[in-house]
Amino acid sequence: MNCLQFENALPDYLEGDGTSEQRAHLNSCSACSGLLADLNLISSEASSLRELDEPSVRIWNSLEAQLRREGIIKQPARSSQLDFFHRWRTAWLVPVAAALLIAAGIKLYQPAKIGDNQPVVKVITPAVPAAPVVSAEDKAILSTVASRPPAQVAAYRNDLAQANSFIRDAQEAVRNDPNDIYSQQLLMNAYEQKQMVYRLAVDQDNEDEQ
Amino acid sequence: MTDAKRPQRNKLNEQDAIERAKQGDAGAFELLYDLHKRRVYSLCLRMTGNTASAEDLTQEAFLQLFRKISTFRGESAFSTWLHRMAVNVVLMQLRKKNLPVVPIDETTEGEEEGIIRKELGAPDSRLAGSIDRLHLQRAVDELPPGYRTIFVLHDVEGYEHNEIAEMIGCSIGNSKSQLHKARIKLRDLLRVNRAEKVAKRS
Repeated sequence: MNCLQFENALPDYLEGDGTSEQRAHLNSCSACSGLLADLNLISSEASSLRELDEPSVRIWNSLEAQLRREGIIKQPARSSQLDFFHRWRTAWLVPVAAALLIAAGIKLYQPAKIGDNQPVVKVITPAVPAAPVVSAEDKAILSTVASRPPAQVAAYRNDLAQANSFIRDAQEAVRNDPNDIYSQQLLMNAYEQKQMVYRLAVDQDNEDEQ
Repeated sequence: MTDAKRPQRNKLNEQDAIERAKQGDAGAFELLYDLHKRRVYSLCLRMTGNTASAEDLTQEAFLQLFRKISTFRGESAFSTWLHRMAVNVVLMQLRKKNLPVVPIDETTEGEEEGIIRKELGAPDSRLAGSIDRLHLQRAVDELPPGYRTIFVLHDVEGYEHNEIAEMIGCSIGNSKSQLHKARIKLRDLLRVNRAEKVAKRS
């Protein structure tokens, strides 16, 4: 048996239908045994992707809203937002940690300093505005919620600070590698998180007025 | 607040949650969602390679499940039921978008012969016994949609070839051979990645 014949029979071999001839070839051929080891490795590592990703909290929020609209959830909505804040604050630690890891990783793997003789290549980075610690919009939102209980105001303030911090980290990652889609996705997630804080404040404000 | 009146969320197991969800209990739905959200979302993300689509499909899969939860009698595991529903939702979406569910065979005979020939000339090109999970994830994202579907269903989700053949409408033999090609393609992608990493270090 040669390598080509072995490879043609490999799908069946991997399913456990190997012949003695194939096994003999494997024992004598490092290329085919290497190929088999790699394919087995890929297959065994694949299950680690099964629960790899954490979905955005907005999926549950809109799912819950839809279930209520359709009458599938029969209980009234929670009056307190504290549960939401609790869930939101813990859920987004994952992307924040990811952003920090990416930023740290980029720094660690930066190439050595460019020598004097080497041409300097200017990297054009997209114009990403830096998120101020407290922007005019943040101040407006904080003034909107100022009349609410102190604990809620503190929660809004804290969530805004976390959102701004997340945005800054994601911006840093994008600046370091403008073409990295994962950094771009992180930045989008960061802005979405902040948008959620804004929306929550405005929605609650509208409910209070009604 | 007495123990009896405290929210039951933490005390509920899945079976209790299913029964409560049938009565419209919000906390039970939330618990069921929390128990399975990562698996369902990861499945949708791996199969579509797109965050926005994965979010929509995750929501749709859970919505379909919760709409039908009153019909769940427990003949199969709840997770099996949910994951199968999620797969169907994703496959339907791929078909709607005219993306190939069954792999389009893009390799020619000549290219297939080249796999082994490359091996013979490159004894040190193995994956060195380990794969970084992030690299594997990126490589799966780079697979053509048809290959990705078969690989995710078989190697990530653990479906058998006869189940995959039924789900996507192909023969068992086709499922086997396309899975093999998907793994070969992944290996190539991972080796390129590894070679780039080595080149950067040197």
